Amino acid sequence: MKKRIITLLILLCLVVTGVPSADASDDWYTYTYNYWGDETASPDAYSVTNVFYGRNFGDEVGTFNDAEGMFVIEDLVYICDTKNNRIVELQYNQGSFELIRIIYTLNVSLKNKDMMDPYELVDLSTDEKPNYKVWMQGENEIVLTLKSPYDIHVVKMSPEKREKMYGSDHLGEKYIPPVPVVEPDDDVTDTPEDGEAADTSATTSDSEDSADGDSDTEEPGEGEGEGEGEGEAEAEKEAPKVLENVIKKDLDRDYDIFIADTENHRIIHCDYNLNVIGVVQHPEDETLKEDYEFLPSKFVVDDVGRYYVQAKNINAGLMEFNKAGEFTTYVGASPVTVSLIQRLWRRIQTKEQWKRSKQYVPTEYNNVALDSEGFLYVTTSTLTEAELTSHNGKPVRKLNAMGQDILIRNGSSFPIGDVVWGDTEQVSGASAFVDVTVFENETYCCLDKTRGKIFCYDFQGNLLYAFGNYGMNAGCFANPVAIDRLDEQTLIVLDKKCGTLTIFAMSNFGKLIKEALDLYRIGHYDDSAVVWRDVLKYNGNYDLAYVGVGRALLRQEKYKEAMDMFEVVRDGTNYSKAFKKYREQQVEKHIVLFIIIIAVLFVVPKVIRTIIRLRKEIKEA
Amino acid sequence: MSNFISRIIGFFTGEGFKRYLKTLKYSLYMILHPFDGSWDLIHEGRGSMAAAHTIVILALLTRLWDMRFANFMVNNTRWSEVNIIKELASVLVPLFIWVLANWCLTTLMDGKGRFKDIYMATAYSFTPYVLIGIPMIFVSNVVTLEEGVFYTYFNIFSLIWCVFLILCAMMMIHDYGLLKGLGSSILSVAGMAIIIFVVLLFFSLISDAVAYFISLYKEITLRAS
Repeated sequence: MKKRIITLLILLCLVVTGVPSADASDDWYTYTYNYWGDETASPDAYSVTNVFYGRNFGDEVGTFNDAEGMFVIEDLVYICDTKNNRIVELQYNQGSFELIRIIYTLNVSLKNKDMMDPYELVDLSTDEKPNYKVWMQGENEIVLTLKSPYDIHVVKMSPEKREKMYGSDHLGEKYIPPVPVVEPDDDVTDTPEDGEAADTSATTSDSEDSADGDSDTEEPGEGEGEGEGEGEAEAEKEAPKVLENVIKKDLDRDYDIFIADTENHRIIHCDYNLNVIGVVQHPEDETLKEDYEFLPSKFVVDDVGRYYVQAKNINAGLMEFNKAGEFTTYVGASPVTVSLIQRLWRRIQTKEQWKRSKQYVPTEYNNVALDSEGFLYVTTSTLTEAELTSHNGKPVRKLNAMGQDILIRNGSSFPIGDVVWGDTEQVSGASAFVDVTVFENETYCCLDKTRGKIFCYDFQGNLLYAFGNYGMNAGCFANPVAIDRLDEQTLIVLDKKCGTLTIFAMSNFGKLIKEALDLYRIGHYDDSAVVWRDVLKYNGNYDLAYVGVGRALLRQEKYKEAMDMFEVVRDGTNYSKAFKKYREQQVEKHIVLFIIIIAVLFVVPKVIRTIIRLRKEIKEA
Repeated sequence: MSNFISRIIGFFTGEGFKRYLKTLKYSLYMILHPFDGSWDLIHEGRGSMAAAHTIVILALLTRLWDMRFANFMVNNTRWSEVNIIKELASVLVPLFIWVLANWCLTTLMDGKGRFKDIYMATAYSFTPYVLIGIPMIFVSNVVTLEEGVFYTYFNIFSLIWCVFLILCAMMMIHDYGLLKGLGSSILSVAGMAIIIFVVLLFFSLISDAVAYFISLYKEITLRAS
């Protein structure tokens, strides 16, 4: 009987332990890292509200083809639809978008042309130079077309300011719509995938009727920038024709638009009505190779009109151009560190080996962003895993005017994206940041191309939350290229492969974190602690909240409680501060006790010794 | 019952226990007088195996207590990942291999020390680690992060002291000169590496052999059925 019971118990144990436990290691979407570098599940700080495809903005837009860049200013969103050679301008309003215009061409007046001569921008015998697509349009209009625009930057610029900065040459210049020379089937843009182009036009053709009404162009289908095989062949014979801009809504904004017209080797500066003001061309610099081709990919323009350009095949940092478009200097080149062993190795290598071995070159940046205070944020993805995990590589940097990295990295791990990662079939390796956007409170969100994730850090470099994944579902990305903020609580991400815009809205949890950080930054530490406590209600594993509460407790001279808070998250630095105060407090409180203890420690042994000696003497006596 | 209690009292007041206390106390003399102390420890019979075991156990406890009770600022132990058996083995196994390697080597090099002597002397040399390590656990809990370097430096100091004591003891118990003592110790370390290598090789061969016979057995049973 006993044996049976035991057997039964053992069986029961097996059954109980044998039940497969739910392994939730990859089920969560948002997470943080704790002190030990473990992924810790977190409530969502951002959630997807909408995913937009190009066709959602109207038939003129069609499908985005390898869109590379995006820029948000106020409520306007600009998308560089790179392979379609155009810029799409959208207006964001209450969670939805409205198409404003599609920019294919920019206008150059003859008057402007003179101004641009020093840069040899325009050669009017343009047919000789296919790179500079310039056509005479009527009496005094020249039109520039775009070729693979990679990035766009828009700044606020009142006419007065523009006159002050760039002179008055273009003041009063009036936009005269170019005489349309476009014929229905013509298309100058080269579309590499003809099959796909045919597909797209087929799918959108049923909705052409509605588009006809409000479109300025004769042929709405061509607005998609997709060419068909025959059309292309015809275009080769005839003189090149220009696509006309689609203007759906007339807005009057005091903006200046800068477009990296990458494969035309230039950055074009124009006003909101697309009249060209200036151009950045091939930099005049001796250090550049003879055959160097200026291919600006990402850039920003600061308050005083300086350009900071990340050009392809340049690893000496960002190229700085002045407002007139003249190359001035390189900014923010990262110093090359060569270890002693590498140096010794170089010594014993032969010249042949030297040439073949890996070159130690500075890291090449891949993107640049500007924060509200005018600091440059740059990202790079060329770092090795060893550099990242040893804290030597810095994939995101904040550059000051001298080009030095001044990003604060006080977090338990550096802002490098994922701290630990496993390799799968689809994705492997460390996070690769491709873009960054900075909020008002200096929180910045980095976009990781490797796993389609977004990592948000606060101004001290603590990871606030990470979310996203590799994939095609909403909130996941296949090849994200650009991130920006629509407002302080909304993120927008451009996916090149899917051709989508994903809108993220902040959840209550995210809003609480933001509020707490905001309060902390303006010095309302106690108020921020109250909010941090609310954050802890959402997520008891949120390390930063413990630190936030602990800091406030420290200020309120509740040292013991503060120490407990810091110990939970193993924040040694703050714990030490609290402990120092606590120790002082305790010593002052119990000073008498301490004296007594010390006295006892010193006096009692002496007394005992004396007694023993006396006893001995008495015995001997 | 009273018989039992009186036996216990008898044990603690008896000659054996007194000698044990005396030999244990001798460790204090030995760490301050490494040369004379080590000589007398073995050749004059001032030490005992019981005391040596005690010191080793105390050293093990010091290590565990340090992981458990030292302040988190200076102590990065993650208890969910700690295996106490492994921690203990990480001290005991090298100790055993050291004694073994040293004994093997010094037997060939005219060393006077027996296996027991080498163990005893090495164990006695752990005394500074215990004496400094345990107070440092308390100290770590009353210092700030900046003062935490004291904890680190004192612990490093105690380890250096231990190594120095071991070297002296090896010289004395084998009746070696300075060069031969140092040389034999360095060779012992190399011997440790060889022993570990041989053991690993042995285990891997054994496991291969076992796997072979298991698969052979499986094959036969499958064929037979």
